[in-house]
Amino acid sequence: MIRQVSIFIENHEGRLNHILKILAENKINIRSLNIADATDFGIVRLILQETEKGIEVLKKNDIITTVTPVLAAEISDDPGGLSTLVNALTEANINIIYAYSFLPKKTDNAIIIIRVDDEVQQKAIETLEKVAAVNLLDRETLLLK
Amino acid sequence: MYWNKSYECMPREKLQELQLERLKRMVNRIYHDVPFYRNKFQEKGLMPEDVRSLDDLKKLPFTTKVDLRDNYPYGLFTVPLEQIVRIHASSGTTGKPTVVGYTRNDIAMWSELMARCLVAAGAGPHSVIQNAYGYGLFTGGLGVHYGAERLGASIIPISGGNTAKQIMIMQDFGSTVLTCTPSYAIYLSEVLAESGIDPETLKIKAGIFGAEPWSENIRRDIEKKLKIKAYDIYGLSEIMGPGVAIECECQEGLHVWEDHFIPEIIDPNTLEVLPYGEQGELVITTITKEGIPILRYRTRDITRIIAEPCSCGRTHLRINRLQGRSDDMLIIRGVNVFPTQIESVLLEIGEVEPHYQLVVRRDGSLDTLEVKVELSEALFSDRISNLENLEKRIRDRIQSTIGVSTKVALVEPKSLPRSEGKSQRVVDLRKI
Repeated sequence: MIRQVSIFIENHEGRLNHILKILAENKINIRSLNIADATDFGIVRLILQETEKGIEVLKKNDIITTVTPVLAAEISDDPGGLSTLVNALTEANINIIYAYSFLPKKTDNAIIIIRVDDEVQQKAIETLEKVAAVNLLDRETLLLK
Repeated sequence: MYWNKSYECMPREKLQELQLERLKRMVNRIYHDVPFYRNKFQEKGLMPEDVRSLDDLKKLPFTTKVDLRDNYPYGLFTVPLEQIVRIHASSGTTGKPTVVGYTRNDIAMWSELMARCLVAAGAGPHSVIQNAYGYGLFTGGLGVHYGAERLGASIIPISGGNTAKQIMIMQDFGSTVLTCTPSYAIYLSEVLAESGIDPETLKIKAGIFGAEPWSENIRRDIEKKLKIKAYDIYGLSEIMGPGVAIECECQEGLHVWEDHFIPEIIDPNTLEVLPYGEQGELVITTITKEGIPILRYRTRDITRIIAEPCSCGRTHLRINRLQGRSDDMLIIRGVNVFPTQIESVLLEIGEVEPHYQLVVRRDGSLDTLEVKVELSEALFSDRISNLENLEKRIRDRIQSTIGVSTKVALVEPKSLPRSEGKSQRVVDLRKI
């Protein structure tokens, strides 16, 4: 299980920069970034090298954050790699709420971050563990990649 | 033209005699029939007999919207419900509305005064009045309606909204008078222009506009675009409804029907009565109402009294067009909105921080209200749909309790200005 930091921001210029600056000033490395936007607000989803410290400095700056458990799955960076993963979850009737890719530094494989409903998280883990082409990563392994 | 010349043009001395006689009777009734007033008199050591001249009015206690709320719903009625034939209500400062009741005589009086207003604005029995004020708990629709029937004009009770139908009826039924809010009149004129309808082809001659503040500029704009004369009307449900005061053909201030109401202007801070001509808060006493007579009601509307005689011949004092409010009430598309009402809705939703800001804009000709609410950590969700649902929940709740549609925007914590007073709660970007 990976702990993703989710942040609420208003959808106007300067807000993302504000958050990134706080993290930079505190020397916290961002390993992946995903932004979801609605009309007047957005949610920034980050995987940080140092989750706890990141949350601490963000909260100190009155930024609303929450920790969301997500899955990190390593798959081969080839045609059909992602399809195998999604197919396994579909067959298990597990809905993906959102997914985005993680940029690894030390592997040629692709890494996908997946968010499913909390109630089906364990089921998703069990399902993916049975798929040979998918390698579920724990936090330490992910951050080394 | 007058509807009731002997009253409308009554010599001032005679008018004041009539006022004093009616005031004494009114004070006597509320003292004996309404515990709320009796207590207030006793606190000040006053008896009804202490009212010997009109000047004594200034010694008497005020009535406020809060008093109406504290006595919700019927506590200030002076007659039993069996004598009440109609009940109206308007926005209260919190969740509960302000309730008023009318006896048969009250409705007759209101109709009479509204008929005077219609005639002052040039209407007569041959007029076809398209009444686009809302019908319902709001006094606008039915107030105009009964006055028009009393006058013998043909009233079209179309109520508000549905602009395409309004225009069709205006064309086909040959409406000669339009009654609605000034902002709706501008909107109608814009839609007419977009539809390529020349107002010269319509029979409309006059408009009677009220329920929200407007300016000379807006009047000129409406008069030019609709090719009509536009008259300002004033009223509030606590006192009666529309028809408390109206502009005559001179369009220089609104005559207050003094045989039924006594207007005063006070300094809203010291509560001292100000001389005629000085600007302050309008206070009105009803001297003939039976259902819910109101002593010195603080309207919170800012204006001044014009005491100079009017060239129309009416002797009743005029008030200047409204200059604003002495509280934080907003009028959005004719609906009264208090920031405290929004606050109670937010508190009911719970978990959301009661830090909010109201932003009022005029989009084209219609007012829009945006409610900015600071999101709390407890309500934050990583899922866009959850947050959008939260916005929708707040929006629906405001719509159902206050009756005005809003745009709700969640904002970051501590991003809204904090202030001691309520002034920064409201950002009014309308230019009226």
